[in-house]
Amino acid sequence: MPDGYASAVWNARYFWLHLTLADLRSRWRGSFFGILWTLIQPVGTTLLLSLVFSKIFHTPIREYAPYILSGMVVWDFAIASSTAGSLSFVQADAYIRQCKQPLAIYTLRTVLTNLVVLSLASMGLIVWVLVAMPEMFGWSWLAALAIFPLLLLIGWPLATVLAYFATRFRDLPYALALVFQAMWFVSPIYFKVETFRSGGLNALVDYNPIYHLLQIVRAPLLQGAWPTWENYAWSLGLAVALSLIAVIVGSRVEKTMIFYL
Amino acid sequence: MNGNRISLQNVNLHYSSVGFRDRSLKALLSRAFHPRANRVEVHDVHALKDINVEIRAGERIGLLGHNGAGKTTFLKMLAGLYPISSGRRVVEGKIRSLFDLSLGFEPDASGRENILYRGLLLGLTPKYMRAMESEIVAFADLGEFIDYPIKTYSAGMQVRLAFAISTAVGGDVLLLDEVIGVGDEDFMKKAKRRILSLIDRSEILVLATHDVASLTSLCDRALLFHHGSLIFDGTVKAAIDAYRATQTAAMS
Repeated sequence: MPDGYASAVWNARYFWLHLTLADLRSRWRGSFFGILWTLIQPVGTTLLLSLVFSKIFHTPIREYAPYILSGMVVWDFAIASSTAGSLSFVQADAYIRQCKQPLAIYTLRTVLTNLVVLSLASMGLIVWVLVAMPEMFGWSWLAALAIFPLLLLIGWPLATVLAYFATRFRDLPYALALVFQAMWFVSPIYFKVETFRSGGLNALVDYNPIYHLLQIVRAPLLQGAWPTWENYAWSLGLAVALSLIAVIVGSRVEKTMIFYL
Repeated sequence: MNGNRISLQNVNLHYSSVGFRDRSLKALLSRAFHPRANRVEVHDVHALKDINVEIRAGERIGLLGHNGAGKTTFLKMLAGLYPISSGRRVVEGKIRSLFDLSLGFEPDASGRENILYRGLLLGLTPKYMRAMESEIVAFADLGEFIDYPIKTYSAGMQVRLAFAISTAVGGDVLLLDEVIGVGDEDFMKKAKRRILSLIDRSEILVLATHDVASLTSLCDRALLFHHGSLIFDGTVKAAIDAYRATQTAAMS
């Protein structure tokens, strides 16, 4: 990222931090139940899904449910960050028209909001594992914390690139929904890794950054093991690649975005 | 003498035509497959043409011209919102601009919270905004509504609040776009006083207005725009005469 741009983002930190807080407050405004929904919704869906899937795949629900839940909270973050993220500039058009600020602060706002939602939703996962599989608890759990900075480093550039394109091509979010649906089918998010491997689809696991990213949470929480260096390398690699794309695209189109709003 | 100044050399600005064409992936694809389909050609708009201006600290500039002559584009270009397509643009000093006043609120947040957000957008610190809050609340004079969500406000109330916030802090370079006509009559008087004190504290003023009276009283130099070109740069009185001449020329 060019120096001037990075420092402009830093100088605007009060602004995007408060916008994030405003987003969270309006999401939960009104009732205590509001904040609870963030927890209840993934846990409820997981219960329903794992009831069905554990029968189909003959897996004990005790282990399969947290597998699905871990996939769901991370995937929900990915979808929210990209679909809501792609609309970040359009949503912030009134600010963009009035005051010159780096546009990436508006995608940062969306991604940070989703990251807070993710951390709350993952409480459900932690409680589940502690109750159902307490033998997994250990030092390796610390390694799972890396998921938060990694998701920020992946989600922010991803949302920013998508926002550049979605501001120009207003029907992009529809296409995006399709792409994410496809990615969901070919990644071990709800389906077990063994299902892919037994079908001879090893490449969909080993060369899939989504798998490696999920392993950072799943290895410690569900297997009591440390994530491998490949897991971190793939996740970081994805973050670096997306950041490069964001910088290249941004340096060309950031200034002209105001004409498309 | 401080270094606040504006320097423009051969500045051109184009609005890209893509911005107002059909902007979808579908349109992109159909253009690729039917390159010669019957369409109305939309061209880039050449909104500012070869502008050369030097403005030094202490100058009060008025912008004159018909609707669409390029006044607002000129202001937004100075503010750095619109990218120039060629030339050189130098603006030194803290810019404070007042355009599109009623825009940019978080509808679910209260008026008080929005005071904070808007201040932070302008690059101020939370601490500073908390110190300014009571003064802004008093000026906007919205009573108990200040603690209600913005979505319950009428358009006039939103403008009052936006005006109170945006004018609470000054800058070296003040850019104003027709903002003097806000709110009801009482508020107008208050607003005018506040703008005047803001202007007093600024180093450079650039004001776009159709109101000849305020132009004469506030400015000591005027720029006249016509179809994106700068056609006159000089005293306010001479500029108004030249402006009237373009009006009568257009009529005959």
